[in-house]
Amino acid sequence: MNHRLDNANLHILPSAWRWALAVVLTGVLASAGDARGETNRGGPADNAHRIASLVIYPGEIHLTHAGAQQPLVVQATREDGVTLDVTDRVELHVENGQLAHLANATLFADQDGDTRLVARLAGRVAHAAVRIRDTHQPRDLSFRNDVIPVLSKVGCSSGACHGASRGKDGFNLSLLGYDPAGDHFRLTREISGRRINLALPRESLLLEKATGNVPHTGGRLLASGDPHYRMLEAWLREGAPNDAETAAQVDSIKLYPPAAVLEGAGSRQRLRVLATYSDGTRRDVTTLTRFETSNEFAAELDAELDEGAVVRAKGHGEAFLTAHFDVHSVGMRVLTLPADLEFAWPEVPEHNFIDTHVFNKLKKLRIAPSELASDAVFLRRVMLDLCGRLPTADEHRSFVADESSTKRAALIDELLESPEFHDLWVMKWSELLQMRTGPKITKKALMRYYNWLRDQIEGDVPVDRMVYELVAASGGTFAHAPTNFYQSEPEIAKTAENTAQLFLGIRLQCAQCHNHVFDRWTMDDYYGYAAFFARVGRKPGEDPRETVIFNRPAGEMKHPVDKRKMPPRFLGGELADIGEEDRRVVLARWMTAAENPYFARHMANLVWAHFFGQGIVEPVDDVRVSNPPVNPELLDALAARFVEHDFRLKELVRDICNSRTYQLSALPNETNATDEHNFARAKLRRLPAAVMLDVINQVTETTSKFKDVEEGGRAVEIPDGATTNYFLVTFGRSARETVCTCETRREPNLSQALHLINGATVHHKIRQGKVVRRMLEDNKSPAEVAEALYVRCLGRAPTERERTAIDDELAAAEKPREVLHDVFWALLNSQEFLFNH
Amino acid sequence: MKCMGNSISRRGFLHAGMVGGIGLTLADYLRLQEVQAAETGRQPNGPAKSIIYIFLQGGIAQQESWDPKPHAPEEYRGAFGSIGTALAGIRFNELMPHSAKIADKLCVCRSMSHGDADHDRSTYIMFTGYKPTPAIQHPSFGSVVAHEYGPQNQLPPYITIPNQLDDSGGPGYLSSAFNSFSLGANPSAKNFRVRDLELPGGVDQPRFARRRRLLDAVNDHFRALEESDALEAVDSFYQRAYAMISSEKAREAFDLSKEDPKLREEYGLNEAGARFLLARRLVEAGVPFVTTLYGAWDHHTEIVPGVKKLVPNFDQAFAALIRDLDQRGLLESTLVCASTEFGRTPKINTTAGRDHWGKVFSIAMAGGGIQSGIVHGASDAIAAEPAADMLSVEDWATTMYHCLGIDAHKSLMAPGGRPIEIIRGGKVRRQLLV
Repeated sequence: MNHRLDNANLHILPSAWRWALAVVLTGVLASAGDARGETNRGGPADNAHRIASLVIYPGEIHLTHAGAQQPLVVQATREDGVTLDVTDRVELHVENGQLAHLANATLFADQDGDTRLVARLAGRVAHAAVRIRDTHQPRDLSFRNDVIPVLSKVGCSSGACHGASRGKDGFNLSLLGYDPAGDHFRLTREISGRRINLALPRESLLLEKATGNVPHTGGRLLASGDPHYRMLEAWLREGAPNDAETAAQVDSIKLYPPAAVLEGAGSRQRLRVLATYSDGTRRDVTTLTRFETSNEFAAELDAELDEGAVVRAKGHGEAFLTAHFDVHSVGMRVLTLPADLEFAWPEVPEHNFIDTHVFNKLKKLRIAPSELASDAVFLRRVMLDLCGRLPTADEHRSFVADESSTKRAALIDELLESPEFHDLWVMKWSELLQMRTGPKITKKALMRYYNWLRDQIEGDVPVDRMVYELVAASGGTFAHAPTNFYQSEPEIAKTAENTAQLFLGIRLQCAQCHNHVFDRWTMDDYYGYAAFFARVGRKPGEDPRETVIFNRPAGEMKHPVDKRKMPPRFLGGELADIGEEDRRVVLARWMTAAENPYFARHMANLVWAHFFGQGIVEPVDDVRVSNPPVNPELLDALAARFVEHDFRLKELVRDICNSRTYQLSALPNETNATDEHNFARAKLRRLPAAVMLDVINQVTETTSKFKDVEEGGRAVEIPDGATTNYFLVTFGRSARETVCTCETRREPNLSQALHLINGATVHHKIRQGKVVRRMLEDNKSPAEVAEALYVRCLGRAPTERERTAIDDELAAAEKPREVLHDVFWALLNSQEFLFNH
Repeated sequence: MKCMGNSISRRGFLHAGMVGGIGLTLADYLRLQEVQAAETGRQPNGPAKSIIYIFLQGGIAQQESWDPKPHAPEEYRGAFGSIGTALAGIRFNELMPHSAKIADKLCVCRSMSHGDADHDRSTYIMFTGYKPTPAIQHPSFGSVVAHEYGPQNQLPPYITIPNQLDDSGGPGYLSSAFNSFSLGANPSAKNFRVRDLELPGGVDQPRFARRRRLLDAVNDHFRALEESDALEAVDSFYQRAYAMISSEKAREAFDLSKEDPKLREEYGLNEAGARFLLARRLVEAGVPFVTTLYGAWDHHTEIVPGVKKLVPNFDQAFAALIRDLDQRGLLESTLVCASTEFGRTPKINTTAGRDHWGKVFSIAMAGGGIQSGIVHGASDAIAAEPAADMLSVEDWATTMYHCLGIDAHKSLMAPGGRPIEIIRGGKVRRQLLV
């Protein structure tokens, strides 16, 4: 039985019946033995007890033309955080009834003036300011603000239809209307204006096609007489005018309510979208908005309803809804909880601020974190993550035996100062910075660049400082190594894209050719940002292998649609004041500033992702409205902390590794088994290619030879992305050819399995390293050798069952060494070995 | 790009169906279903059961192969003459006598065009049917076929001889489960073995069985503790590897020494011969898509010696492959396509070579539902522009998919729940079909 529906229907019953039914309902619940019966709202009295707040959306209502109206949303929040859409249940009235009236939860303008709207429910009261103007003046129709949104909404200008770069069936519109002037021309002038018929608007090809009255590949998109149809018809009747230069543009949009916590499958929350225009007017554009949900399993959308849009809860989980209108995208978070959830938060200690934010989110989701990982598991995990190696048998023994309560923190401090920690982070950054020799980067330049990076990491140079040096770099590629950053990519536009993705986590690529469909970025943003790199000059140095990067006195970026010269503009921000400076210096300053809305967050997220196998925004370098952080408070706090630490990597890493969140076991509990995103347990992460090869060498006591790495050195120390071998390629090491973090791959494939099973890396190294032989020569029994191999590879002794399996094989075989080699083989092929857990 | 398909297992699937795993999205779920469907093979249901996709990297000159211009001035014609073929009035370059003899089995397209002249971009186009975009990576033809039909007879559904081209030949937005399996070794090498397919020296089947028992013990322990879809994905590849290692038949599919030495000579004891013959063996064993690369055709300088080195071996091996398939009754069910990046410039350049030319070039197809004994389209007098029946990459790819029983208008699911057509805007070209 769905209590919510019953309850929601109560308001339509006569009040006496309502009371009676509520009593019956409560009785049923109690008799069904449902201990949480009282948390289900039984009736008004119960509501009065539970509802903590009541809000009307929008909170300020502006009605500014004849016939203006605003549909309302009223949301109540219970004490336990669950939200209720009470729009239909709440008692609404306008304080000055002369000015406006209500019908179907919609406010209609009658006369100019100011008043308030009042909502009452179960003793709670909410208000909204109402401002009514120009009730004698009808609203002007606008091509950009009325016609284009219809074409976007019904799909005409979508990427699959006429919005495709070459259009469809001979008719081309700009993708989702990014070029209104061009669209107006194509609609009214192209093919001699045959798409419209001003004498008989209803016979315009535009309408005949959209209604399917004449054959249309895209099928029937409109019914004659529906509001979208009427809008297009009205525009045609007026003579299909274009907008004046001064026509209002959309400044921003808002999605109401800002968040929802829905309890019980099927519970609903209506949504409204309000646009604010550059002339100060506001308009409800819900029916013209495209909505998306990130997770149909948790929450589905019903945007086709006449009443606007509604989100409906499905399974337990979380969804992020995005609303797209004009060039704007906004989002809201929806949590969905089962109606019959039994959940008690385990009182676990918080080690630091990270845990506070992670646990707050888990509490909301009714998910309990896993237990703390054992010492042995923690030791292995933190060594792999910080140093890219396994603990030795001795390290394992002494750490597990250590009884100090601060031993984990002490270990983290120690590892942070080890050279291996530097190796790992130098590798990470050299992948991001595409450090590889190529047509523009000679060996000598690369080594300078690599050594410069090493110095930065070893000196714990603040990351903002390092990035500033890269972006603002001028000089010779030998004399001033960070200039090599500009040698990985010769094109201006691509350089701009790379810096945005690398340092801000923003993928601008889409906006090169059209306004981004899933994000806020427009072509203006793209070319305004690219303009920072329009004056990067390159000339030969004295040494023919060297290039000098310099600031050219001239050079502009032009908008490809209308050929405007684009002045440099910060992404999502102001026009840059360049003065006499190098544009890149100005950009570098903006980019690395503590208050930059992207930089600290993105950098903190990159670091986070290293330790959790996924970012708080994931993919880490795809920050956009429709890909929000799973835990924004956590990301904000992490970024703030990073700033507080003056962008010092080690301090941030110290915080992360000391958090209980990082130290949780991978073992799931009942509540978190299906959660993959909220850091409620450790995630199994396959070792990165280079680390895997290094630890195979470590445990087999062998080495691999790599170009430019000292004898016996590790794969993580390879300076040049062009240096590689079969193992590294097969296991997905980044070739450093792009700035995308996706270049490092960890997905399994058939060649990997075959290589570990039959290939030289495992089979030969086991024999070559002679580990088993030496142990046997040390007079260890075969069983002892097996145990030592287990500790060496997995950081644990064999279980009873494993011991029996080994004993059985030993008993059946003639050559114990061969059996032990096979044990070694099995360990190196085991999932426990290949994964960090 | 985040790969979700792989990391979700049957167990995840059940969760999705039953309780709606927190954070598992519909897109994840659909991709998961696809990966699972791909675990069990499905027989192709078009006339073609397999495709052998021969790719001539670097761009073979149309003039020096399928589309000679004997009447053009010498600086366009080049140094070579032409010869008659089994088709009346149709001439190939004089370096291709073997293919000339079997021209009645072929469908030569002389009006292919994509207009691009960059290696990476053109390779991408000719492997995926899409122009590259920075926003998304498209799957290669072979990955789409793997996605649609899955593994057959313990063998991977998509194999590349010898190694996959990085960006273009991959699974794109599909899961890495649909990536090609690369041999990792050259079939013409003296002791050719597929990399890591054979057990190492000193490990016989009983010893391998022991290794697996010991490994099972370790994995069982771990998996009892840690349930994860990532583990199951690794495990599924181990199972595939075991199946291949222990299936005599599967391993033999890679074993060229099982071929009659006379036939090997017919193909040619060289790189082209060995690769094309191996492709035939794999197709015979049931692999639905085999890509084989041959040669480096980027003849900017000295095209005469360059072409002399490559064309005769290609010609011999290609003709032998068509004949061999035909004699075995496999040609009807095997679509062979000799493809390339682009053509080369009409005029010989100042370094006696030809440069990149995407406006018109030639490919040749045979079998698998493709009409035999026809020349489709034509280039102009100097092989500079399509002169008749221009064949777009989209139409060509759509037609090949059609032969395999795949509707190229169907959409596949990219991350973010974004449906993308297998090929956008292509038409099946009926004139090319039987």
